Amino acid sequence: MASIRISSLHKVYGKTPAVRGVDLSIGTGEFVVILGPSGCGKSTLLRMIAGLEDITSGVVAIDDVIVNDLEPGDRGCAMVFQNYALYPHMSVSENIGYSLKVAGVARAERDEKIRRVATLLGLDTFLDRRPAQLSGGQRQRVAMGRAMIRSPRVFLFDEPLSNLDAKLRLQMRLEIKRLHRELGSTSIFVTHDQLEAMTLADRLVVMNGGKIEQVGTPQEIYRRPASLFVADFLGSPPMNFIPAVIDDEGKAVCADGLRPCPDLIWDLEPGAEVRIGVRPGDLQIVGRSARGALPFEVEMVEDLGTENHLHGTTTGLRMTAVLATGEAVPDHPFAVLIPESAVHLFRERDGARIDPRSVSRIH
Amino acid sequence: MSETRAVKLPTGGIRALPALPRLNLAPWLYLAPALITIVVWTYLPLIEAFQLSFYQWNMLPTSPKRFVGLANYAHLLTLPEMHAALANTAIYILGLFPMSVIIPLAVAIFTQDLKGPMRNVYRTLIFVPMIIAPVVAAIVWRWLLNEDHGLVNVALDTLGLHRIGFLQDPNFALATLIWITGWKLIGFSTLLFSAANASINPSYVEAARMDGASRCQIIRDIRLPLLSPTILLLSMMTVLFGAQWSFTYINVLTGGGPLKSTTNIFYLLWDYGFGSLSVGWSSAAGMIAFAGFTMIAFFCLRLMKRCSVYDN
Ligand SMILES: Nc1ncnc2c1ncn2[C@@H]1O[C@H](COP(=O)(O)OP(=O)(O)OP(=O)(O)O)[C@@H](O)[C@H]1O
Ligand SMILES: [Mg+2]
Repeated sequence: MASIRISSLHKVYGKTPAVRGVDLSIGTGEFVVILGPSGCGKSTLLRMIAGLEDITSGVVAIDDVIVNDLEPGDRGCAMVFQNYALYPHMSVSENIGYSLKVAGVARAERDEKIRRVATLLGLDTFLDRRPAQLSGGQRQRVAMGRAMIRSPRVFLFDEPLSNLDAKLRLQMRLEIKRLHRELGSTSIFVTHDQLEAMTLADRLVVMNGGKIEQVGTPQEIYRRPASLFVADFLGSPPMNFIPAVIDDEGKAVCADGLRPCPDLIWDLEPGAEVRIGVRPGDLQIVGRSARGALPFEVEMVEDLGTENHLHGTTTGLRMTAVLATGEAVPDHPFAVLIPESAVHLFRERDGARIDPRSVSRIH
Repeated sequence: MSETRAVKLPTGGIRALPALPRLNLAPWLYLAPALITIVVWTYLPLIEAFQLSFYQWNMLPTSPKRFVGLANYAHLLTLPEMHAALANTAIYILGLFPMSVIIPLAVAIFTQDLKGPMRNVYRTLIFVPMIIAPVVAAIVWRWLLNEDHGLVNVALDTLGLHRIGFLQDPNFALATLIWITGWKLIGFSTLLFSAANASINPSYVEAARMDGASRCQIIRDIRLPLLSPTILLLSMMTVLFGAQWSFTYINVLTGGGPLKSTTNIFYLLWDYGFGSLSVGWSSAAGMIAFAGFTMIAFFCLRLMKRCSVYDN
């Protein structure tokens, strides 16, 4: 168990920057998930912590000891790879016990530990098999076992579930959560799957273009995305965005002169271009004449069993609304309303979140 | 499945002909060039050699063949020349091992991290011998190793050492031929090992580094086991073909001498056949070599099947 401190970490491959100044502190026993689109530098960041990638500049410290120049094996980190990277010529027990063998642990003690880990992961009956003779889920478990056996200070996961089918993914997700609760090791988990990120994380780190966009609990990030990127990236179906301009009173006016949130005032200079964001699930269905209502034309309804997704347009913009299955889809012309508490507003210029005056007063 | 479908396709036209009811000709047609070549150039001569090994004949079409039964074999097996040739064959093979397997393996593993211009320099150096024609190589080496004016002996001289008759001294000739054969092989083996080594999934090495393995342990526990199919293949090729590969150099440089010290089984049977025109002896020697190497090949194949690891 350990704390990790990363400061102004950079990685440049030749001339392409992959990680551009990351600062992050991770507490002992915390489960941190790094989420971001493909190519944003998640793996690179993780591999620099592991020691598999040279650090261009910046510092990685584990338990306040700078480990920049330490070999991966000396950092006390264990890693689960996306493709598992199980040694194909070794049996399951040899795979799990290899780190102990390398460390010179006596055979009897090694076997004892291997058995304990295998029992914990339900692998007892596969110990003599080769990786090629295992299913994807079993391989995943062996990879976990190999990481666990040395009781590492830090667990690093690089998209360990992305090669599994949906059902197995859920099962392994719960298993990882359970193991983390039992072992309490500091863990860093890289993924581009939102569901994994939301369910596993004590703290979520959203990355984009080699930089951290936002750090916080999954709830904080989902409810108060700090930037346009985070708001757009998190949530399914994704957040709806309506371009608007701030008028002289500080209110947002969108195309056709509609004011979707007539009572909110932002401290922005008049004429500032903004985007109003609202999650599909937060939209309320109202009559067309309601104050602040945006007329909604349905184009397609998707029935997901648990809810209906209404895809359509508002003032010429694509918009999605979510209705619980119990609620009937109106068969007459209707409108959607953005509740004041569900409004997210971002400055077009830099994508930063701006809170309205009234709401800031409440908070 | 896909194979049968692939070969059946073009039979559509043929099947329509009433003269060829159900016989599926197409696959045999495709195989024919290879089959005919193998039969004409390998199996027919083999059978013929087998027959000839029981006769005494001097290759003149007009002279009679005389059946002698197993006399050729009996004679050969008691001939000291044959014993020496068999022993030399073994020495050729063993002597080639370091240069066809061990050194290339080491070179491939220790140069894998070379980058940029260094990599090209090393590659050129190691691969040049491979592309030189064997006879040219033999002649270049004869000049280099010449007892009076050869560069190597001049160098020995300036170092204050004795001149060595590399190709004239029976104590050195065999080693010299092994060196030349091996020198020609190193490039090929290194190429194969480098390719196999480069195709090892880097994440195995990364996983081992995370497990705390040192560079040496990674080579011992990860690289070598994963390279074992290539190691076995090259070992097998050395055992089966090593003595044959040296034929050109024996022929050009020593003619089996001095004092038969560089003769091996392949040179011997060639010498019997086309030197002294005793086809019976030559064929019998060929059959002995064939039987021996067939057994070795069989053994090697079984070993390969047992030891190889399938990476997926
Ligand atoms: N060895 C390398 N050489 C050059 N560029 C690299 C190398 N490895 C990664 N990159 C670049 O660095 C950037 C970050 O890559 P990285 O693998 O960290 O992305 P990622 O966030 O893990 O993406 P994914 O979700 O697809 O795994 C990418 O633009 C990639 O092209
Ligand atoms: Mg990645």
